[in-house]
Amino acid sequence: MAVETPAAATAAPRRTPRGPLRGPRFWRRGSETLAAWLFLLPSLAGFLVFTAGPVVAAGVISLLDWNLFSPPHFIGLDNFARLGPDPTFWSALGNTAYFTFVSVPLTLLVSLGLAVLLNQGLRRMAVFRSLLLLPYATITVAVAFVWVWLYIPHDGLINAVLGGFGIDGPAWLISDDWAMPALILMSVWKSFGFGMVIFLAGLQAIPQQLYEAARVDGASPWRTFRAVTLPLLSPSVFFTVVTSIIGSFQVFDQALVMTDGGPGSSTTTLVMYIYRTGFQNYEQGYAAAQSMVLFAFIVVITAAQFLLQRRLVHYDI
Amino acid sequence: MSSSFSRRALLKGAALGGLATTGALSGCSSGPPPGTATWSMWSSSPEENRVWADFGRYVERRMHIRSASTLTPSDGYPTKLDLQLVSGTAGMVTALNGWLIPTYASRGAHRPLDDLIAADPDFDLDDFYPAIRSISSFAGHTYAIGFDVAPTVLYYNRTLLERNGVDPPSPTEPMSWDTFRELAIELSKPEDQYGFTCAPTIDDLVSWIYCAGGDVLDGDRDTSPLDAPEALQAIHYVVDLYVKDRVTPPIDNLVAQNASGASLANFLQGNVAFMQNGPWQVLNVRKAPFTWDIVPFPAGPAGSTPRVSGSSFAIPSGVKDDDLDLAWRLLKTLTSTGALNIYARAGRNNPARLSAASAFEPPPANLGIVQRILKGDVAGGHPFNVTTNWNRVRLLLGQDLPRAFLGQVSVRDAIDGVMPRLNALMRQHRDAVRQAT
Repeated sequence: MAVETPAAATAAPRRTPRGPLRGPRFWRRGSETLAAWLFLLPSLAGFLVFTAGPVVAAGVISLLDWNLFSPPHFIGLDNFARLGPDPTFWSALGNTAYFTFVSVPLTLLVSLGLAVLLNQGLRRMAVFRSLLLLPYATITVAVAFVWVWLYIPHDGLINAVLGGFGIDGPAWLISDDWAMPALILMSVWKSFGFGMVIFLAGLQAIPQQLYEAARVDGASPWRTFRAVTLPLLSPSVFFTVVTSIIGSFQVFDQALVMTDGGPGSSTTTLVMYIYRTGFQNYEQGYAAAQSMVLFAFIVVITAAQFLLQRRLVHYDI
Repeated sequence: MSSSFSRRALLKGAALGGLATTGALSGCSSGPPPGTATWSMWSSSPEENRVWADFGRYVERRMHIRSASTLTPSDGYPTKLDLQLVSGTAGMVTALNGWLIPTYASRGAHRPLDDLIAADPDFDLDDFYPAIRSISSFAGHTYAIGFDVAPTVLYYNRTLLERNGVDPPSPTEPMSWDTFRELAIELSKPEDQYGFTCAPTIDDLVSWIYCAGGDVLDGDRDTSPLDAPEALQAIHYVVDLYVKDRVTPPIDNLVAQNASGASLANFLQGNVAFMQNGPWQVLNVRKAPFTWDIVPFPAGPAGSTPRVSGSSFAIPSGVKDDDLDLAWRLLKTLTSTGALNIYARAGRNNPARLSAASAFEPPPANLGIVQRILKGDVAGGHPFNVTTNWNRVRLLLGQDLPRAFLGQVSVRDAIDGVMPRLNALMRQHRDAVRQAT
């Protein structure tokens, strides 16, 4: 469904071809370029120093045997070779994948459901929106501590509520089977607000005349949602999926505070294992190798999503 | 046009100004001036901050130089110290928890102090309790000088015992394990009253293992004796208190860092008869709304020989030349009788020096047993022997042993499950020791 909008019809004024810049215009353009670079410089410097630099450094460190205090030794790809037979690495990767592929769809569903609800023109929508955004705005560690209390098996609030319905609640954070679902539940609660705001903005940008056209055509609400809302919301969904998956692969804070990776290693995530390897076991090279593998996973999954978006994401209205 | 130009000029000026300011700030030195006595310490409360501020003033008074301490909350202290050591920004003296000394010493992060001690006739190492001297040594060398040392003791809620018609335990004679178990069962009531609390972690469990004659590591072997009959007997005993006798408050959380705090919180609620903990908690328990005291740790088959732990000051390997002389003088000042008197009078813990012992005063009334235990007059103690990779040992046991405390697996299965990985860590430890000697 491609509709030409007034914005598309009134494109930017056509530029006439210009020859090489000479005289005052050249200097003005030059000074504008310089100003642009100067404005970009703080952000660019931050990116180079705090993002690109560490990535390159991690790549170099992954080739070293380094315990932080003694001089490092070059060992080639030995750290990467260690990953294969390391059961904790694969277990941590499995736990991270479990967390990601359950929490991201759940978060999206909750975010989308609430965004659709808030888009119905409710009174005091701004108040609801702010309240629902609060969990996202709070610090993960603080929220995690509160959830630890909620999850206490014998007299925590969650099991007390379940008990009210005659349900004998699980042992949550101290149970092998329930610790990860408990982390996922908390994470969904913590992060749905972000997706909700993105979806709400996307919903409000969909022209009302499309809904009116669907109504005139006799489309049911579900059909309208599938044929109008979802396709036009696909850029927002794509953005939220990409950012959520990247964030979920880096899950750390809540697992550290709520379970410390246990019971056993049932909630040990990849970033937690990297942290322990580097800063508790003092194996910086091995930790860097794990980081590079995580980086590669995220790049591959993100690239796959960008390939899929060509077929699934609709930018035209 | 002119307004556009002036706006652009203004923005350009702002950008250039910002860059200039950034450059100027980055050019500034943020470190203390040369000749300052710099030291690092953990501190997690305003009360602790005050003690270390008093230490700083004491250093300035005694050494006539500026003191600059870097205080970090205890949870994040080792990580911050690592980064400071690597980046060369650590203090010239750094505090170390005793269990981390082999970790840092084996990696060359701190220097041995033997040469400095030998060259300084004024320094009397014999004034320090033998246990802290053992804890502060690695591979036959002294790597640190202690500032506190204490055995694990048994706290008891006198009010609760009296309410239940139970006489207080002997202040000097340790209870047998059987007597302790009977009392713990007798004092447990279905309506939220418990006989005993401790942390279900290796740090607490090790005291029972020592009292049974066992250990986690064997200095002469590449394997851990955690599956030996003595250690198994101790682990069975404590797990039975949790699972079979149900004399402990239920376990809510398995995060090891919270476990000790949870045990203290349980005791302070007033419905727990006994708590296993160290005298470093005396200051916190003084806030309890009931009467209480401490007694020696229950005696197992090998007697009352619980864990003795302590903390020390050490000098990083990167400190050289003139700074080394200043660092040694600073270390001596921080561990002097005068400084440790400040520490002990504040009630933080038992001081590591015999000459400062009198400053660690009651309440509780029986606090004196701490020093009597350390001197060997009453009961006994066992220095907390750890490996050079104790972080990993702790993590391994912290993840797998709690399942036994929850009754999810048997003690035998839990131990059998960890032994291969534990032995791998023991071999790694032995290699590190061999390389260091």
